[in-house]
Amino acid sequence: MNAAVLDETQIQSGRLGRLVVARLKPNEDIMDSAEALCAAHGIGAAVVRGGLGSLIDANLEYHSREGLKLIPVTGPGVEILSITGEIRAGDSRLQAVVADADGKIYAGLLARGRNLSFITIELTLQEWLPG
Amino acid sequence: MQPHFEQQGDVRHFIHGGEPQEPRLLDCEVAEGEELRIVLAPGTNVGKTLLEVLEGRRYASAVGRLLSGGASHLAYHRMVVTTSEQKPYDYGAPVVLDGYITFVSGAITVGRDPQDKALLHCHAGFIDREGGQHGGHLVLDRIVVGSEPLVIRLCLFNHVAYQVKPDSETHFSLLHPVLQEAV
Repeated sequence: MNAAVLDETQIQSGRLGRLVVARLKPNEDIMDSAEALCAAHGIGAAVVRGGLGSLIDANLEYHSREGLKLIPVTGPGVEILSITGEIRAGDSRLQAVVADADGKIYAGLLARGRNLSFITIELTLQEWLPG
Repeated sequence: MQPHFEQQGDVRHFIHGGEPQEPRLLDCEVAEGEELRIVLAPGTNVGKTLLEVLEGRRYASAVGRLLSGGASHLAYHRMVVTTSEQKPYDYGAPVVLDGYITFVSGAITVGRDPQDKALLHCHAGFIDREGGQHGGHLVLDRIVVGSEPLVIRLCLFNHVAYQVKPDSETHFSLLHPVLQEAV
């Protein structure tokens, strides 16, 4: 993940545009799929409006003094309770709350390429139109 | 095919019993959505009332979030191992909780069953009255709003529906995005 340093507050006006209503079949990664869906529809930036389903295993991350650390959640059948965040080609940032098969909750950043759909994921994105 | 795991790099893949079909991403585009904020009062049955709220509205499907609130009674499913060779994982018997349940996260999809009736799919995380964490697939017909109203935001859309269809790869009936005539 890129960690660009921001020197000053940025404000962007805009509105929400088209919706992309999708299903991810098994073994598809959430972040890669979200970016592929945006690219296929010519969308430069989008927000997650809906996301639920299940993962084979979840791999979540958080920032620490030593850099990004991993929270592995072993499945299969890790339930996605919610996904939030922005999609920007190659620079998406998505967070998720998930539960393992014992119902225990975990939260963190979605690690790219490491959160694969188990049975299905319903993912709905909405275009962000600046200006 | 016998369902099995396959290690690819540092992630596990799961190969289901049915033949995988292309494309792997199914998607439809909608021009715009309609936003709804719904507040369910204490004592309300969540599934029944949500369907009543949506009855008569012109929409094909919807997606949204549980924003805040609690439940006095709740049932949810977790994934369990089965004895079926073709479907080795499925939802188990519901886990039932009573009293002072606090929602902390949740997502909802309003899809359509084969008869085109609205169908609710909801996953959520919540805390029980002892402080224990839980998360899973909610049985909305068996959830009663607690002393805190339940706030739900939905984005309704037309022309595209999340339609239940059998999935030959996983052997589950799942929500698929499909184009529809405007409602």
